Amino acid sequence: MKTRRLLFLGICCLLVLTGCGPKHITKYEAFPKVYAERPLAIIVLPPINETTAADAKEYYSTTIAEPLSFSGYYVFPLEVISEIMKNEGIYDTETLINLPPHKFKDFFGADAVMYIWIQRWSTSYYVLGGNVSVSIRSVIRSTTTGDDLWQYEGTIVEDTTVTSSGGGLAGLAVAMVATAIKTAATDYVPIAKRANYMIINSIPCGKYNPSYDKDREQKVIIEKVMKTRK
Amino acid sequence: MKIVYIMSIFWFLFVTGCATQEPMYYWGNYSSSLYKYKKQPKEENLKAHKVCLINIIDESNKRNKKPPPGICCEYGYILLKEGNTQQGLYYFEMEEKNYPESKVFIDRLKKFTITDKKE
Repeated sequence: MKTRRLLFLGICCLLVLTGCGPKHITKYEAFPKVYAERPLAIIVLPPINETTAADAKEYYSTTIAEPLSFSGYYVFPLEVISEIMKNEGIYDTETLINLPPHKFKDFFGADAVMYIWIQRWSTSYYVLGGNVSVSIRSVIRSTTTGDDLWQYEGTIVEDTTVTSSGGGLAGLAVAMVATAIKTAATDYVPIAKRANYMIINSIPCGKYNPSYDKDREQKVIIEKVMKTRK
Repeated sequence: MKIVYIMSIFWFLFVTGCATQEPMYYWGNYSSSLYKYKKQPKEENLKAHKVCLINIIDESNKRNKKPPPGICCEYGYILLKEGNTQQGLYYFEMEEKNYPESKVFIDRLKKFTITDKKE
């Protein structure tokens, strides 16, 4: 038992020392323009859904404001914005996307615009588990300079496996059925929210977060594929 | 003696390290409520979303927090659309007071909802 523990510790040390794993860079190195421009008010445009999942757009647009606000930014109410746009005769997101960014400054007083493309939304179920994976590309663009201040492109994977609590084969069968049901009838709001939290995590903190301007040296992990934690 | 000293350092690290910070905002069940309303824009779901919004505002006040960005504005906008101008403007002002950077937006919204009515 003791040797096993020692071996485990040894491996841990080795991992830490060799530093394998994803590349770590600081927030400042990754997104210097955010520190240079210091945007505060961000307008999030309705996501562009490139997938066949009809609801993906709503899942994203209703769960993005919360994580962005916790990062310290002012987020315009998405619902109100989209209604105003409709009243202005802009119905489709594509038209919105092609508007020059400075229009959002003149019209709403926004410092930056956030664009989101949902590239893939898939649910898979396999014998011993299941998952939901979402591929996203997102950009925050300055309304002053038109530069991209921050961007993310990658896939978020949420494990929907139901773990069996023992019970041998019978327990396994129960868990398998439970996973299948869970993957088919999952409430995607919390999943979309967790995915948004993961994506937003790398943005340098805004004015309303206590870490504002203190997170330059904070390491960000930018991975192509990230797994959500519940 | 030395052990007590070391232990108190550990204790200090433990306490300060694990102190979970109280979240900055109270969002209630905003996402689920809004999602439901967007999927089925029924009167019933709008009512539920209004309850959700006012609950966020009340609960935030109770906990000495600012209501999250956009919430007062969204609530005021719904009230204005329903013809409750006075109350609607009251929540617009609350948004602007909490988040001065929303001024341009709120001003436009005011103009927008008032001219909308004249038509």
